[in-house]
Amino acid sequence: MCMNHNSVAITVTSGKGGVGKTTTVASVGLGLAQLGYKVCLVDTDIGLRKLDLMLGLENRIVYDIVDVIEGVSKLRQSLVRHKEYPDLALLPAAQTRYKEEVSPSQIKQVVDELRQEFDYILIDSPAGIEGGFRNAIAPADRAILVVNPEIPSVRDSDRVIGLLESANLTKIDLVVNRVQPGMVRDGDMLSVERVQSHLAINLLGVVPEDKRIIRSSNTGEPVILDSKSLAGKAFSNIARRLTGEEVPFLDLESPTLINRIKRLFHIA
Amino acid sequence: MFGREKEEPTATKADDRLALVLSYQRSDIDERKIKLFQERLVQLCDEFGYDVVGQITVIPQSKERTTIINASIPVKLKEPI
Repeated sequence: MCMNHNSVAITVTSGKGGVGKTTTVASVGLGLAQLGYKVCLVDTDIGLRKLDLMLGLENRIVYDIVDVIEGVSKLRQSLVRHKEYPDLALLPAAQTRYKEEVSPSQIKQVVDELRQEFDYILIDSPAGIEGGFRNAIAPADRAILVVNPEIPSVRDSDRVIGLLESANLTKIDLVVNRVQPGMVRDGDMLSVERVQSHLAINLLGVVPEDKRIIRSSNTGEPVILDSKSLAGKAFSNIARRLTGEEVPFLDLESPTLINRIKRLFHIA
Repeated sequence: MFGREKEEPTATKADDRLALVLSYQRSDIDERKIKLFQERLVQLCDEFGYDVVGQITVIPQSKERTTIINASIPVKLKEPI
């Protein structure tokens, strides 16, 4: 098989559900496409697909990854191209099948075929550490761990790091999502530094909590396209860092006059 | 200021709790294992000529991705018979 040797397969995972894996895949994938790379997003959450909704491509799906594996369709037929960014493609998950119906080696085979065309293959992992997770990590060259700054999320992520390492996947980067600087400042949320210190992996990005993300998932336009969104800017920076560019982290601290006065009187 | 004591931030407590939670998970340790560990430490002290004179505490702690098991054993030398 003729492989694109520069092709990189990255699994985005977390352990715990609802931390922002799919949001990260959609926005970082789009960010890489904006930078001129050929990108394929693979949804491995068979039975509970979401990535199509995040990208606004749900009405254009004809075939899915299970169809490819079962030989019902060819890989090219199953890819859904983004209208605005044709270098961005989605390989959707099946919505009416089960994760157990495919194996890690079958997913790996599909991703190996995608390597011929795409520079980056981002694999959206389902929550949990069962079969779906094993499917998602099988083809990966590296992993991105999405974590929220709260104990349940960090504990699950710590477990996932152990599982990734035992699968010989040692290039693992951290994205801390849904950070609320005000809560960190008030001592009500774990800081990014503490989360990174506990997990002891490379920090790839810090994404602030942003109401615009809810809007974007409802409209099917990834938040990276929202020029007013700080989270969108953070995802854009993550995409650039993935390509090797050195990008400083966003300053999420924007002290208001009220906050300054509160701190002066030790009431915040 | 204004005589108010500033409360300890919640996140500091959460950080300590997280350290403990992670160290338990990483070392696959539970209360039963800690109890067995404590019993063996009493035996070990006995072999080396010490009496354990108080509560032994065994606390796993995490630093980076390494777990450190801290044992606090109050002892005194055995009285010569």
